[in-house]
Amino acid sequence: MSKNRTLQAVVVTTALPLFYLAGVSSEAPTGLTLLREAHAVVGAPMTPVSAAGVARRTTRRVVAAETTTAAASTAATQQQQAATAQQQAATAQQQSATAQQQSATAQQQAAAPRPPGAPAVGSVVTALPAGCKPETRSGVEYQNCGGVYYRAAFQGNNLVYVVQ
Amino acid sequence: MKTKVHERLLATLSQCVAMAALTTFSSTALAQPAGIAPEAKQILKASTDFLASQQQFTAETRNTLEIVLKSGQKIEFNSTGRQSVQRPNKLRAERTGDLVEQVFVYDGQSLTLSNPQQKIYAQVAAPGTLEEMLDFARTKLDIVAPAGDLVYKNAYDILMDGVTDGIVIGKAVIEGVLCDHLAFRAPQVDWQIWIQQGAQPLPRKIVITTLDLPNAPQFAVTVTQWNLKPTFDAQTFKFTPPAGAKQIDFLPL
Repeated sequence: MSKNRTLQAVVVTTALPLFYLAGVSSEAPTGLTLLREAHAVVGAPMTPVSAAGVARRTTRRVVAAETTTAAASTAATQQQQAATAQQQAATAQQQSATAQQQSATAQQQAAAPRPPGAPAVGSVVTALPAGCKPETRSGVEYQNCGGVYYRAAFQGNNLVYVVQ
Repeated sequence: MKTKVHERLLATLSQCVAMAALTTFSSTALAQPAGIAPEAKQILKASTDFLASQQQFTAETRNTLEIVLKSGQKIEFNSTGRQSVQRPNKLRAERTGDLVEQVFVYDGQSLTLSNPQQKIYAQVAAPGTLEEMLDFARTKLDIVAPAGDLVYKNAYDILMDGVTDGIVIGKAVIEGVLCDHLAFRAPQVDWQIWIQQGAQPLPRKIVITTLDLPNAPQFAVTVTQWNLKPTFDAQTFKFTPPAGAKQIDFLPL
């Protein structure tokens, strides 16, 4: 019920090879899964001389890590999701028009039967929930996870999934 | 009674150890002067200049990365990497770790990031030189290219930016190679570098300690092998998508 159960904010400094995982609750997936995600978050083709990276780091990015059990969102979570969605919206402007169209099409197609408790459109997760099936639409592959569509993307060095 | 004696013994022992440690430190580490020692600057500059003058090279690396869990527990991840560089505009970096495999290719026109195991890759047009491409990757895509800062021709300036203290610790042997061991401090980071002695002052190891994160996690890179006369072929800096690989997007910053 709490926001922690629904969505955990993993604050990551991605501009450097060093990071700290915050907000990992006891209700998160197993340790191994966490570590797997953690490593994915690190992304680390690390620069051998990233001492400079520490000093130069300017960006802090919020990655929403979804747990497999979706519960009702609290207002706080929604705010967070909205913030993430805004970021996504901003970045989307820089993406190609085609990608936007494809994304929009997929949203329309997927929007109608959105299951209750589905994560906000535009939010980014580091791992897919269980039981996803790939589906190709307009030449783009999506993951259909119980009616919620995800599209893979690189966020920095990390493979993430954007909720459509 | 027996326990008490035992405890006293332990206490005495630990005092001895502490004093011994203190004695050792006071003669070395505690004696460090403030500021940057000219010799430390000089050794570092010789190394970065030497690398900048190399038109092509490969470096095999072994990396360890600490992460800090919320509980404070540190976990270490290991990976190995292979970096191929051809100035002014070619780079290939491969990384294989505990849980991840990634290839980064820059051919002078575009950069590609690929996860072969997951059969996905993303590609984007990139600026025309290594330095510009690395800036682009870092600022626009949030991608940290392997060996990145080392590749910059002005690596010295980048490294020394913000550094307040620097000392020569002494001699050390890394991977069987005699090195000078340097240590530097900047506001949020302590870093150490081991530089090969002799005519080829190559960096052999780097340790970065981030001070403003809980438990100050470290990242370490050891170069297990340098090759300054590598043989590259047409495929080295060309990305060919593996069969069945899917192209995805980069999310820009």
